[in-house]
Amino acid sequence: MGISVQYTVRQTMSNLWRNRLMTIAATLTVAVSLSLVGAAILLQQGVSRAAGVWKGGVQLIVFMQPQASQADTAATASLLASDSMVRSSRYVNQQQSYVEFKNLFAGQKDLISAVTPADLPPSFRVTLRTAKDAGAVGARLGGRPGVKKVAYNQAGIRAMLKVTGALQDVIVGLAVVLLVSASVLILNTIRMAIFGRRREVAVMKLVGASNWFIRVPFMMEGLVQGLLGGALAAIVLVGVRSGVQSLVARFQVNALNAVVVPGHEALLTQLLLLLIGSVVGAAGSALAVHRFLDV
Amino acid sequence: MIRLENVTKTYKGGVTALSGVSIHIPKGELVFLVGPSGSGKSTLLRLLLREELADGGTVWVGGKDLSSMGKWKVPQLRRSMGCVFQDFRLLPNKTAHENVAFALEVIGRPRHVVAAQVPQVLELVGLGGKAHRRPHELSGGEQQRVAIARAFVNRPLVLLADEPTGNLDPDTSRGIMKLLERINRTGTTVLMATHDATIVDAMRRRVVELDHGRVTRDEYRGVYSYGA
Repeated sequence: MGISVQYTVRQTMSNLWRNRLMTIAATLTVAVSLSLVGAAILLQQGVSRAAGVWKGGVQLIVFMQPQASQADTAATASLLASDSMVRSSRYVNQQQSYVEFKNLFAGQKDLISAVTPADLPPSFRVTLRTAKDAGAVGARLGGRPGVKKVAYNQAGIRAMLKVTGALQDVIVGLAVVLLVSASVLILNTIRMAIFGRRREVAVMKLVGASNWFIRVPFMMEGLVQGLLGGALAAIVLVGVRSGVQSLVARFQVNALNAVVVPGHEALLTQLLLLLIGSVVGAAGSALAVHRFLDV
Repeated sequence: MIRLENVTKTYKGGVTALSGVSIHIPKGELVFLVGPSGSGKSTLLRLLLREELADGGTVWVGGKDLSSMGKWKVPQLRRSMGCVFQDFRLLPNKTAHENVAFALEVIGRPRHVVAAQVPQVLELVGLGGKAHRRPHELSGGEQQRVAIARAFVNRPLVLLADEPTGNLDPDTSRGIMKLLERINRTGTTVLMATHDATIVDAMRRRVVELDHGRVTRDEYRGVYSYGA
């Protein structure tokens, strides 16, 4: 026995309208819960992006002896160029170092007048692929002829890795907890809606409707409610994203630029919310109607 | 059409609802099931609808053994049976027409069949002019007629009625009974559990009496109780 599509659509629409208060309650429950889940996912994406950018920005500074020979400098440069752990490196000569020095100590005239470009070491500013390799690259360069010292903020790098890692774990955990509680809330709302219609289900069973025939309109209802809720949550997410973006722009917190997830990545999260909404809605209805079917 | 052999049903907590019940009802008969409250009448009807399974013995409806019937076949069984209850069990937010149509829609009948059969059966039960009223706009007797129309619209082999006149005044009850008799004359087997002595005595049909889960009387042209 096939289930007529026309019947199902008609039944779903009229049920949604007839129980519009419950429809609104269920849809809003889905929307609020999924907005929170979505915001958590977005935050996680942002932090993970930012961690990548910040880590990528970590530099290793290889100070050369002020009197290092051309050959030593060239050898170090080619060594850095061929190192697979190194993303890029830039040579800063004595004159450039002096300009930096002047900027750094602009307020202290005495100090600046006491130092000449010849006193300052030239250096390589090295950007690594991952911050974790700082130690290895540093050790490799440490004893080379002409190299005075390799400076890197090892403790700082470790701390940042730890903090971003922990932050991501917390956010993922939060999203999971939110998702579970959202599912329970949605399930309960649908159950209440179906409980209000147990007479209808009882009559359907009495006149010999098959279980699937009873289940499908309820599942379609749940699907529509979940989908609507997911769509609302997706819209909320657009607002959240542009809100964060404008805040970052307004206060010119450039360090936080990386936290703003680009639109196409947010779109993926929004699609995920739609999917979660419809799956939870349909499965929740099926689960909720189950206990009324077993007569 | 209906056959019970040595049927036993005990509920959790040790309450024996039926013990060793054997009844045979051939096709086209009209049978009254009488007995005090708690004698097992409702349990018997629930077994026939396969809302419950017997603990012992066998129940056949339309040649099918209900105890060995797969769960997925139960809807099919119920389509061959109609049910009427004391409390009507109509859907309050649907009109008379919609309530009857619902029974056909949920078993997947095409729309044109529904459109053709519902007015016909409403006419049969005498509600042709009240098809678009909702249950609360109808009297008790009229509501029961809608329920009978719903039970009969599918042309079932068996019609089960659980105290269908329990909530109705004597005049209205007589009307409902006439309707059930008319349905019986179309060849439908009717089994009616009742406390309505006046009706049973007036009809003089087959009477099966249950007491404490046992058949204590089974007679043709019977009355409600001995000594009446």
